Amino acid sequence: MIDFSQYGEQTPHIHAFRCRKCGAIYYPSPMICAACDSKRDPVTGQGWEEFDLEGPCTLLTWTRVWNLPEGFNKKFLMFGMVAFPNGLKASGRIELEGDPEIGMALEAKVIEADERPGKPVKVFVFSR
Amino acid sequence: MAIDELEKKLRPPERGLPPYPAKMITLASGEVMVVREAKREDIGALLGTVYPLIEVAKDYYDIVAARMYNELLAMFRYRIANEFAIVGAIDGEIAGIVTSRDVDGKLGMSLHTLTIKRGLRVGAQLFAAKMEHHIEYCKEDEVWIVAESPIGFKRWMIEYELEDRSAQYPAVRHELGGVPTYALTRKLWDAVKAVKCTGTRPVPPEILRTADKLRMPNEYIQLPGWKRNG
Amino acid sequence: MAPRIGIVGIGHCRFGNSSDYDLVDVIAYSANDALEDAGGLALRKEVDQVFVGNMAAGMFNHQTAVASALISRMDMEPCPAELVENGPASGASAVKMGYMAIASGMADVVLVAAGEIMRTVSGWEATNIVATMAHTEAEYNMGLTLPGFAGMFTRLYMKKYGLTERDLALVAVKDHANAAKNKYAHVQLPVTIEAIADGPEAGVVNNYVAEPLRMYSTCPITDGSAAVILVNMDSPKAKLFGKKPIRIAGIASATDTHCVHNRKDPLVLDAVRLSAEKAYKMAGVGPADISVAELHDAFVIFELLNSEEVGFFERGKSFLGVRNHETEIGGRIPINTSGGLKAKGHPVGATGVSQIVELVRQLRGEAEEGRQVKDPKYGMAVNFGGFGNNVVTTILAKD
Repeated sequence: MIDFSQYGEQTPHIHAFRCRKCGAIYYPSPMICAACDSKRDPVTGQGWEEFDLEGPCTLLTWTRVWNLPEGFNKKFLMFGMVAFPNGLKASGRIELEGDPEIGMALEAKVIEADERPGKPVKVFVFSR
Repeated sequence: MAIDELEKKLRPPERGLPPYPAKMITLASGEVMVVREAKREDIGALLGTVYPLIEVAKDYYDIVAARMYNELLAMFRYRIANEFAIVGAIDGEIAGIVTSRDVDGKLGMSLHTLTIKRGLRVGAQLFAAKMEHHIEYCKEDEVWIVAESPIGFKRWMIEYELEDRSAQYPAVRHELGGVPTYALTRKLWDAVKAVKCTGTRPVPPEILRTADKLRMPNEYIQLPGWKRNG
Repeated sequence: MAPRIGIVGIGHCRFGNSSDYDLVDVIAYSANDALEDAGGLALRKEVDQVFVGNMAAGMFNHQTAVASALISRMDMEPCPAELVENGPASGASAVKMGYMAIASGMADVVLVAAGEIMRTVSGWEATNIVATMAHTEAEYNMGLTLPGFAGMFTRLYMKKYGLTERDLALVAVKDHANAAKNKYAHVQLPVTIEAIADGPEAGVVNNYVAEPLRMYSTCPITDGSAAVILVNMDSPKAKLFGKKPIRIAGIASATDTHCVHNRKDPLVLDAVRLSAEKAYKMAGVGPADISVAELHDAFVIFELLNSEEVGFFERGKSFLGVRNHETEIGGRIPINTSGGLKAKGHPVGATGVSQIVELVRQLRGEAEEGRQVKDPKYGMAVNFGGFGNNVVTTILAKD
């Protein structure tokens, strides 16, 4: 059966994974569940389900990087690590005026970025 | 000495730029670099400093040195309008030179940046001093900038967020080779000067005095084995 | 009973810019240097196994199978040879493989040579290549790089323990002072605390790289190579070598989560602590026995963290030791006597072997005047292969 939803404007999402056998959640996804030893099959997805990782989060730490890698022709970019209410953590870019503060509440959304050659990639952006 | 009429025709009319106030910067090694505008009597030492590097093909030293030699000689011979040169000197020895010129009071044309003493960001400091002079003291609105070295240029392009004017080529073109150009506007300068431009003024007289008579380096890391005095 | 394994030859080139040279030539240079130190180039025929440490020749130099290339460059056919890649711990991992080859009985003499030429590409590209060690989807794709992780890490440490930017600068001053006396160091230029921290121009002269880390808290991009010759000290072949072996008393490694954000405690480097514990146990010594240490400091914060994880200082207190001059050459525990990755430089695949070469020089009493530690007995090296998630600790002994 064709998934016709693929022909349209796609909002990018980043997925976390839940082991159906025991409910443990992970980001990014492992190939073995540490809690119950079940394996993940990346082709069939059997036994594991994906869910969107986004929305409210708390800032754990941040930096402003002035020497960016090849392709990022900007003066600087801010990056941070956040914790979601479900306990999962993630790294991504921060978009804010001024300096962030450790512990502040942010909103995680996902964009597509194409600084590097090849297909665009999904990137977390943490902002207010 | 009376300048003869033909010579007068060949000399550019000088607007008379404001002077660049000398400053000093303590480099990471603890050495103090005096950053001051070059005077006419310095040009011999500057030419002698630049000349040996014309032989160095690596890192674009040859073309930068050759072009800077031309700019300095032209300044001496009064064959270039409204140019200035700023020198960085450590204990009187020339560590780096930048050249630039004012076009019409509103536009600056950045010429060259040559680092002699490597490893201490001398070039970065002198480039910033050059922009400081254009915008803060000469009160120009913007400076056009190009470079010979792609990596050197990319650094300025990113760190200063230069405006890309290359789409307006050939109407807008840089005097250096007539190539497409980028621009540092006053707004862009104001956004970076706090992290790019530094220095202490006024320079204490005993330190400034060390840079009164500039000395050419005896050796160059860019020219292994070369010595100025045999 | 496991044989005693020692180092009988060391080789090292001047770190810096070797981008005009062929990678395998540069690695062979140090391998030749090690053979000569061991007694002569003819000794290459006694080598039973070669391990080469290199991280990213495929990207920096468009070269793969570097170990195979080195064999012919060194006229060492048909000696077995393998490449060991463990990110920036490739060097120490290659030494560990050499140790294991001898301990298993499969070899009596092993040449470990490691090198990297990074300056064939621009600084932005080098940063990008090094960043490929991060998790592709969750970190690399975000644009994160090693300096970015180090900046975030440093911010947390500062908040928790009160470390200041000036403390980081003090470490850099020490490193540069040591490197200025090290003939192999990339940056042989001392820096002053006034210039990089206290003075009015320090903020620009020592600009931010990944806040709160500044330029003088991060290592340069460096090319270079280093090599060691390991021997089974209990085999007849040991008699071929003139110099008294410096024994590998302990060598161990451990891993941690790939994603930095998934570490159990963001300020704890479990892999360092666990690998050090195993190495100490193997060597039968503890932190107080270590006379000199080379601790992976691609970012100065790591020198501090590592010194705590291996037990030289209480957690959160290492920078107080720095303020107290305890990690200088004449101090209680000299750290990074070579200048560290900060000033000696960090050709990523070579660093692990370079650290061990430094320890051998110190233990033999062959370091340059002004940076020789007095009468050292045990040396420790900690080499990171990632952002602290794959760490090799080596302890050497002067018997």
